[in-house]
Amino acid sequence: MPEVAARTPLARSWSLARHLGICAVAASFLFPFGWMVSTALRTDREVFAIPPKLLPEQVQWHNFVDAWEYLPFGTFFLNSAFVAASVTAIVLVVSSLAGYAFARLRFRGRTALFLLYLATLMVPQAVIVIPLFLMMSALGWVDSYKALIIPVAFSSFGTFLLRQFFLTVPQELEDAARIDGASHLRILLTVFLPLSMPAIGLLALFTFTGQWNSFLWPLIAINGPEHATLPLGLTMFQGQQGTQWTYMMAGATISMAPGLLLTLLLHRYIFAGIAVGSGFGGR
Amino acid sequence: MRSVSRDLSPGLAAGAAGGRSAAAPRTVRRRRSRDLGTAALFLLPSLLGLLAFLVLPLFASFVLSFTNWQVMGTTRFVGVANYVRLATVDPVFWHVLGVTLMFTAEYLALNIVVSLTMAVWITSLSWGQRLFRLVFFLPTFTPLVGIALVWLLMLTPGGVVDWGMHALGIPLPNLITQPGLALQVVVIVSLWSHFGYNMLLFGAALEAIPSTYLDAASIDGADTWRRFWRIKLPLISPALFFGTVLTAITSLQTFDQVYALTRGGPGSATTTLGYAIYAQGFVSYKLGYASSIAWVLFAIIMALTLFQLRLQRQWVNYDA
Amino acid sequence: MASRLRAWTVRAIAAAALLMLAVAPHGARAEPVKLTWFMWSGSEPEVTAWKHVAALVTEKYPDITVEFQTTSFPDYWTKLPALAAAGKLPDIVSLQSLRTAGFSGLMEPLDSRIKADNFDIGAFEPSIVKGLSREGKIYALPYDFGPLVIFYNVDAFQKAGLTPPHPGWTEAEFMQDAKALTKDGSFGFAVWQPDAFIAFARSKGAQYLTAKGELDLTNPGLEKAFTAYAALVGTDKVAPLLPASGTQSSQLAAARFTAGNVAMIVNGPWQLINIKKQASFHVGLAPVPVREAGSISISAGSGFGIATTSKNKEAAWKAIQVMTGPDAEQYLAEQGRAFAARSADQKFWYDSAAQGVEGARDAIAAALKTAEPYVTTPNWSTVASGFEQYAPLAYAGSESPSKVLATIQDLATQ
Repeated sequence: MPEVAARTPLARSWSLARHLGICAVAASFLFPFGWMVSTALRTDREVFAIPPKLLPEQVQWHNFVDAWEYLPFGTFFLNSAFVAASVTAIVLVVSSLAGYAFARLRFRGRTALFLLYLATLMVPQAVIVIPLFLMMSALGWVDSYKALIIPVAFSSFGTFLLRQFFLTVPQELEDAARIDGASHLRILLTVFLPLSMPAIGLLALFTFTGQWNSFLWPLIAINGPEHATLPLGLTMFQGQQGTQWTYMMAGATISMAPGLLLTLLLHRYIFAGIAVGSGFGGR
Repeated sequence: MRSVSRDLSPGLAAGAAGGRSAAAPRTVRRRRSRDLGTAALFLLPSLLGLLAFLVLPLFASFVLSFTNWQVMGTTRFVGVANYVRLATVDPVFWHVLGVTLMFTAEYLALNIVVSLTMAVWITSLSWGQRLFRLVFFLPTFTPLVGIALVWLLMLTPGGVVDWGMHALGIPLPNLITQPGLALQVVVIVSLWSHFGYNMLLFGAALEAIPSTYLDAASIDGADTWRRFWRIKLPLISPALFFGTVLTAITSLQTFDQVYALTRGGPGSATTTLGYAIYAQGFVSYKLGYASSIAWVLFAIIMALTLFQLRLQRQWVNYDA
Repeated sequence: MASRLRAWTVRAIAAAALLMLAVAPHGARAEPVKLTWFMWSGSEPEVTAWKHVAALVTEKYPDITVEFQTTSFPDYWTKLPALAAAGKLPDIVSLQSLRTAGFSGLMEPLDSRIKADNFDIGAFEPSIVKGLSREGKIYALPYDFGPLVIFYNVDAFQKAGLTPPHPGWTEAEFMQDAKALTKDGSFGFAVWQPDAFIAFARSKGAQYLTAKGELDLTNPGLEKAFTAYAALVGTDKVAPLLPASGTQSSQLAAARFTAGNVAMIVNGPWQLINIKKQASFHVGLAPVPVREAGSISISAGSGFGIATTSKNKEAAWKAIQVMTGPDAEQYLAEQGRAFAARSADQKFWYDSAAQGVEGARDAIAAALKTAEPYVTTPNWSTVASGFEQYAPLAYAGSESPSKVLATIQDLATQ
């Protein structure tokens, strides 16, 4: 906090030390990414060279192009983006409605129902994967976007998060809208959502990255490259005829782009989102 | 169950509201359900979704856990035989349970300490706060298959980590091949890839502390250290609680990291319950048995979460 | 009951009709049939190759189209039981011979069809036909196969002034070479499990199954063999310790080989095309060294069969005959994708994948003479993952080899 950075030389050098220190920590933290990119740019035989080489002998930019051609990466990319975006959209709508109900509507059994919602957060995914797959087959949804999107779009995490946020919206604003005769839906749309953009941004980011990385369910639900997502695509580099280490690292590097882009876009919302959204900041 | 929920609800409600909802006017009894119609409408989509895609499969798996369902052969009910086998015959179950609890305890403690430290550190910076938050949040953008492979390449015997340690003169054995140390690899990689979430959470909570509190403390002559323990920590305790509960839930379920990194080995050194469910269900194809392990895991998560919810009254401060 | 009978009658008539169409002169009209086929693949070129094979079916039978579904090889074995559990198996199931015991229950025995059509099963290598059979019944027609052989780094042997491995070379020669090639962080050999170890153990005369075909990992012979195998890493130190990980040990061994810091590995012909592409040195092939019981390799391969749940079995039978027919086999062999299961088409593989590979023909011919079909148990995937997970303990000396075998046996038979 700036207030600590007083004018004394001692405080100043302490502040400098903290900045330099975190740069060092960040640099070592980023090392695996460096290794990922540097592996993506080598020849296969340099991957397991002994002693290890920090940098490739000759930078193999074409690995990125080759990886893209080796597998239908474009399709995987679009599939992942479509699925993650669709899930995020549904989660935002469903969670705002439910979050509002838990935060601002009064009805019997609200606490009990809310606890039930919380309990669903504790269900391990591995528990429900098989029955869920049976359900998908019964519905004829196996190997379709529907199977990737709909069953995972109802996690109660979003409801929980948005409820916390809505609770912090001043009661006076709601009352004023009510006097004007606005319906609950209208209040949600015109009062709560605009005030909650930080929480929405945060939920969007968490949902999107969660779906972007999701592995077990797509693996079970999808049968071929047409609907496969990026994480499934990455495992295809480990085939019966050998592992394509450099392509896999190139693919992993490329796969970071959308999340990074999304964060840069939503950046100004994210920190505010947690501060108010969790309602845990001691105000 | 009822007494438990009564214990929980005030804490949760107050925590959720950051104290504000407690101030909301108490409604008279007949008004308690005045919004029932609207609430039903608003909750319908999420409730239907949860019932169809979570609760229903959950109970289906409960039923399955009392069968000997394997992909091939006939399926029949076997009563509690799966649970009995789990406790008495399975050569690794107790070990796996121990690994899971040990992982959770260690990872949870480290996660909270590291993310809190980094959050405090970053909040104290006058330059680059957003940049460093983004840096430490980066791993969440990469599919775990990729992350696990890069760590495998680095940690493989003779790989860059061994080589670096040797060059620096640190006599560290290769981590991933030592049964006693392999779990530490899973802890390190999990920490590296996931602590960003809690760091953001705690950082935001710290930033939300009104400066008036801290100014007042400064005038009282409290030094940085005391201000942290006496003022900041209690003020962000609700966020700490929230982070701890969610991290505990997810770390008990740990599967992805183990699957991608060590496949439970060497031996069963890194086999967690989450991985054991997968292995029994999708490697050995004993789906009924896998369901019974899954339910044991679910029960443990429930128990631990309820315990944490009870414990919160001792240390979580909602009245700031 | 009545409706079931009726359904049965309808099915019988349909089958008879299909049969008649099969022998009917070309140009006869039939209802178009759409078959599904589930197959593993690891790259776009592989997918293209398989789609070509599927198209060959339609070329021959214009009424039949084969829809190709795929996932990666490790994931295939996760998905297949899930599909079976949901009753959603494809019409045509791909089967690797190691998994015959585990998955034959999902598949239709082909013997009666083979007999009825006078299908020439003798055109395939007998050992792979046996590999895809269980209890005397054939469950899939093979498209590829191969014995495990030694891949060696020709340049490394030349540089060290050593005679390269050759048919008839002995364990003593192997050890000598492995020791000579282990220096400066490089190793002479790399161990992986279970397949490479099974070939090692069989050459030592050890058994891993009882006479009845049940898993038997705790017999003294196998314990002795595994102790010797683990010693290659632990005491002889001619092989690196490869970690148990999300990547199979065979893949890690292959990666170390192509990196040039392991001079010999055990591998199958199916990986040759990839290894040749990745390595910067000349690759040579040799049979596994002669040990106590001789140079005994195991052979494995894959093929296509019909799901018991298929509604178009007759069409699927026609399709798999084309998919493993001479045209398809020649095509796959020329692409280097498969060491052909049809003996007559193997020459095309030698001219593509094995082009420029030292000793390939001799090595494979010699290996085939003594190779045994890789016989497994129904729970083999548990056994295999048990080996992947636990064997490194024995290599590292953290646990005794016999204890490791006992644990795997326990896990698989509990």
